[in-house]
Amino acid sequence: MAEASGKTLMDLISADPTPTVPAQSTSSSASSTPSPAASHLHQPMSTKTTLGEKKSKRATLMQIQNDTISVAKAALNPVKANIMPQRQRQKKKPVSYTQLARSIHELAATLDQKSSQKQLVNHVFPKLAVYNSVDPSLAPSLLMLNQQCEDRNVLRYVYYYLARILSDTGMSPGGGIPTPNWDALADIDAGGGVTRADVVPRIVNQLTSEASNSETEFHARRLQALKALTYSPSGNSELLSKLYEIVFGLLDKVADVPHKRKKGVFGTKGGDKESIIRSNLQYAAMSALRRLPLDPGNPLFLHRAAQGVSFADPVAVRHSLEILSELAARDPYSVAMTLGALQDILHLNDVLARVALARLCHSISRARALDERPDIRSHFNSILYQLLLDPSERVCYEAILCILGKYDNTERHGTDERASGWYRLTREILKLPEAPSKDKSNKTKRPQPLIKLVMRRLESSFRSFSRPVLHAAARVVQEMGKSRAAAFAMGLQDIDESVHVNAFSDVLDEAETNDSSHPEGIRRTSSISAGPGRNETIASLLASLMEVVRTTVACECVYVRGMVVKALIWMQSPHESLDELKSIIASELSDPAWPASLVNDVLLTLHARFKATPDMAVILLEIARIFATKVPGKIDADVLQLLWMTCLIGAGPDGKHTALEAVTIVLDLPPPQPGSMSGLTSLDRVSASDPKSALALQKLVQAAVWFLGENANYAASEYAWESATPPGTALMMLDADKMVAAASSRNPTLAGALTRLQRCAFSGSWEVRIVAVQALTTIAIRSGEPFRLQIYEFLHTLAEGGVQSQLSEMHLSNGEDQGVSGTGLGVLITPMLKVLDEMYVGQDELIKDIRDHDNANKEWKDEELKKLYETHERLLDFVSLFCYIPRAKYLPLGPISAKLIDTYRTKHNITASSGTTDPTVVATGISDLIYESTQPAPAASNSSGLDDDLVNAWAANLGDDGLLGNNAPAMSRVNEFIAGVGTDAPDVDEENIFSRPSVGYDDMWAKTLLETNELEEEDARSGSSSPDSAGSVESSISSHFGGMNYPSLFSSKPSSQATAKSSGSKYQSTYEGYGSPIREEPPPPYSYSEPQSRESFENPMAGSGSRSYESDEDEPRKSTGTRFGTALYDFTAGGDDELNLTAEEELEIEYEVDGWFYVKKKRPGRDGKMAGLVPVLYVNQS
Amino acid sequence: MILAVLFANSVGNVLIERFNGVPAEERLTWRSFLVKLGAENLKGVKNEELLVACHKSVYIVYTMLGDVSIFLVGKDEYDELALAEAIFIITGAVKDICGKPPTERVFLDKYGRICLCLDEIVWNGLLENTDKDRIKRLIRLKPPSEF
Repeated sequence: MAEASGKTLMDLISADPTPTVPAQSTSSSASSTPSPAASHLHQPMSTKTTLGEKKSKRATLMQIQNDTISVAKAALNPVKANIMPQRQRQKKKPVSYTQLARSIHELAATLDQKSSQKQLVNHVFPKLAVYNSVDPSLAPSLLMLNQQCEDRNVLRYVYYYLARILSDTGMSPGGGIPTPNWDALADIDAGGGVTRADVVPRIVNQLTSEASNSETEFHARRLQALKALTYSPSGNSELLSKLYEIVFGLLDKVADVPHKRKKGVFGTKGGDKESIIRSNLQYAAMSALRRLPLDPGNPLFLHRAAQGVSFADPVAVRHSLEILSELAARDPYSVAMTLGALQDILHLNDVLARVALARLCHSISRARALDERPDIRSHFNSILYQLLLDPSERVCYEAILCILGKYDNTERHGTDERASGWYRLTREILKLPEAPSKDKSNKTKRPQPLIKLVMRRLESSFRSFSRPVLHAAARVVQEMGKSRAAAFAMGLQDIDESVHVNAFSDVLDEAETNDSSHPEGIRRTSSISAGPGRNETIASLLASLMEVVRTTVACECVYVRGMVVKALIWMQSPHESLDELKSIIASELSDPAWPASLVNDVLLTLHARFKATPDMAVILLEIARIFATKVPGKIDADVLQLLWMTCLIGAGPDGKHTALEAVTIVLDLPPPQPGSMSGLTSLDRVSASDPKSALALQKLVQAAVWFLGENANYAASEYAWESATPPGTALMMLDADKMVAAASSRNPTLAGALTRLQRCAFSGSWEVRIVAVQALTTIAIRSGEPFRLQIYEFLHTLAEGGVQSQLSEMHLSNGEDQGVSGTGLGVLITPMLKVLDEMYVGQDELIKDIRDHDNANKEWKDEELKKLYETHERLLDFVSLFCYIPRAKYLPLGPISAKLIDTYRTKHNITASSGTTDPTVVATGISDLIYESTQPAPAASNSSGLDDDLVNAWAANLGDDGLLGNNAPAMSRVNEFIAGVGTDAPDVDEENIFSRPSVGYDDMWAKTLLETNELEEEDARSGSSSPDSAGSVESSISSHFGGMNYPSLFSSKPSSQATAKSSGSKYQSTYEGYGSPIREEPPPPYSYSEPQSRESFENPMAGSGSRSYESDEDEPRKSTGTRFGTALYDFTAGGDDELNLTAEEELEIEYEVDGWFYVKKKRPGRDGKMAGLVPVLYVNQS
Repeated sequence: MILAVLFANSVGNVLIERFNGVPAEERLTWRSFLVKLGAENLKGVKNEELLVACHKSVYIVYTMLGDVSIFLVGKDEYDELALAEAIFIITGAVKDICGKPPTERVFLDKYGRICLCLDEIVWNGLLENTDKDRIKRLIRLKPPSEF
């Protein structure tokens, strides 16, 4: 109890406008005011106290109350306290929760007295409201009050608190001053504490009986009782069925009334008593029904909701329409059949009711199920179009969104729906129907093209001063952009925007020029639409709208501007000039008011825009560049990388160079000068004036460097295994200058990338230099000559530390100690150089051997070939340490070795493609073996580049549960964003950008070191020093750096087609590789400790690496195969390797271990985990 | 769904909050996000002038009323405009109860009735009663329509 009184204090003190949080102030002062009444709380209430006792108690109580008031007043207003000196002397004593509780118990006992009721209403109950939750032990007194009290005000509070006790699920539902966990407290208190479980059944019983009480006088209480009941948590099925019973029972009595129509017209006034009571009960029942879980299988829902549309109570009608619109989304046919024609409904007073109506109409008018009933569809369609004229923006916008094909937050409906939405909006015409009820409007109203109505409406909205209206209007324009993009992407015929919009309506138009007969709602828009513009085209309408939209960036609210920028991005078409948008964004971003979350939202919008129109890749990269330079501290490097990569691929063969330039422009930025704010308006100047954004910029540069290394070869279409240059040529170009010249003439893209990386390798900070060197190595390995030699030369110089003197004119000191080796990179570079050394040595020897053989005219012997092949394999393994290469094609010994290796392979029946089962690949999760094996000419198919369809399909695949999408945290964020989900709380502080779940370079680096050790240990245990173990180490060293957390062309290639073509096991293995980059490889029992199984496993491939891979991955597969299932119950993970489950979640079962399934989810759970162990019993296998 | 209704005083202390469908672990974040939003933007704002923000697909509309700032968070059908309607009703009810844009003290004096009003306006995350007279009747336990 001490705890309770310690934590709970009347908050009126904290109302004191000093900057203290209520909870703090209470706890600080609580210690000084021990509650005298604490021990009374849980004692059973005695109503048989003598009068004297009662009086004395009441006296104390009054005292407490007086104290409270005076204290509160004094605390609230110290000046006023002087006016009340007589109260000053009573020392400030705040009222504790315990005291309040006690007051309730006591006042409940003395209910017969007027003053008690007054006390309750004026003091006790209002103060109790301040607390977070209500002690269940108050329930008996509340119930007693509920039964005995006559005072309406007291009763209203009683219902309020009963509802709160019912709704309390132990998780701080209400806010206010924190209260302890009452149930836990009652358990501790062995002397009969009251828990929720004790009182809830009693409360429910009492409320249920009240809700079923049909006395007329009682009906107001009946309403409140029903309302309080709906607060009980929906998990309780018994209670739920009881509620359904009450609600439907009530509706049985009140819903079927013959003369309901009449009331709809006359409204609620002037009805007779009986019908008013009925209408009140209808309201109560519909409201309660709306809060109950929707049961589409229950025909009563539909029946009652359809009846509810004609109820007299406006709120009841709204709820009915909302229920109907939800039902219509699932089963439009039966809703349409039940509803019949709706007409009067347009005149509903309630905005939300009309919103629900718009959705309802949309569902029905688009329903395939109603194809054979065009009359019904067109009826609802015309209601929907009429809602465009609604006086409320909310309703009008909802109608626009419905027409545009977006009416909920999912993108499920896809581009088809969007595209046809745009078509409808631009082509269809609103013909106002004859109002059947009103004879006076005989004249036909002038038909209006929808697009014109919408544009006028939006334009007038953009002139509004209300920020919500501006924000919503910009959002509608954004949705228009989405639908428009979808229409263009679908290549809809007849989408020509230069068509005259009035062409359709002019025919019907001549006779009618007078707009005066419009009903009230239409007047506003019609006055605008009466302006000039007989010859408007859609393009001109759009242009004038966009003009207005652009001016809206002047709004002072940053969120409105953010939405406007998003709208502009969506409305930007690939062929228009970009300058205006660029300058708008640039000047916007210079405003420090932009929060990081908003900036990233816009970046994600760019991504979504790319997905809609891949043609815009270069444009979008240009925009992304502005973000990188303007607000490096605010953007998420993951998201930016993803955008870079998708755009690079989307740019197609011609745009690749430009795209890469746009990415790497980040590297060309001068380091931010401290304190220089002058460049704020310049596009290319970095705005990183504080240490935080300077740090962020550095991370960004790291990301860009890594990206460059990983993707430069793709962008430049330069691959060693495609290279035509004979190795001899390279060896002759030992002069560095010549080499550089040759390189840049051969492939300016790659040469440019190299130059940038080289600069980074010695002028960046240490972290950047590390990444740059790794990037260079990757390029060296992947490129043919002369690039490899050029890089080799460079790395060599770098390792020897002579760079500083040699390149001093380029060197920009960053004030860092360069280390013993001059660059601090010696340790890192040595193994890289060693690889290249080995390759060159091997090549030299091969050439020598070939010459020997040629000179002596000897045939190659099998042993010689074998030796050669072994060297080849060894080098392959070695090279795989550093980056991914296609094993089947890569020739570390140079193109010249191709013939000999082939000879050996044919002789010994080794299939080249088996090289794709590379351990590296599995370990790193690089997935494109599939890509390599199904598309023999890899990305590099020099001039033709990627098949456009493939790119699009792949890009589209990004959004789904594509392979890549399973893991990258940025990706899930993108998808979440695009799907429009996300109620997760926002990041509050900007610091949070650094602590997001996405893995930063530092983390990865740390992880890398860690994992390397672990894996090495494991290798030692299994006694294997074979290259495959090295392969796994590699996975952690270089590819972890990028392989998974950062998108790479090499790691992301799989298109849906390719996946489909590839064999199942490959698919799964790569898929699994994606599971999590961080977790240790899951099934150690299968491989590491079983050398025998390796031996027995037949693999023609000599490299043991592939063997261990096969045994790694195939065994579990053989035993189980992938199955699917759904979670039966919620499951809370008990350890790191376990996975949280939500009931009914769909799962992919990978394998079973000791009563556990290793499962993968379709999408990451709340904790971000995709895969893990769950108990077998929790999964229903399908 | 109206995800949250939150009242705070001028220095950012939360006076009333009602969350609906927001997981417990996210509430604290929302609370501080809203308070921060208010602290940054509500200075010098006129009474009942509406401000707007959004986070992913969640909308936030907030305003100042006397010494008290009011925040509404919603999603789906409760977009900026629907929230603007709701906040209009809430401010109207608060003004009715307090007689004018409330000082913090007046607000706390009427705390109980404001809670009841809120209970009638937002019920389980859905907007319920919008009519002033109706709300007034309901918090006195009178039926919504009188005869």
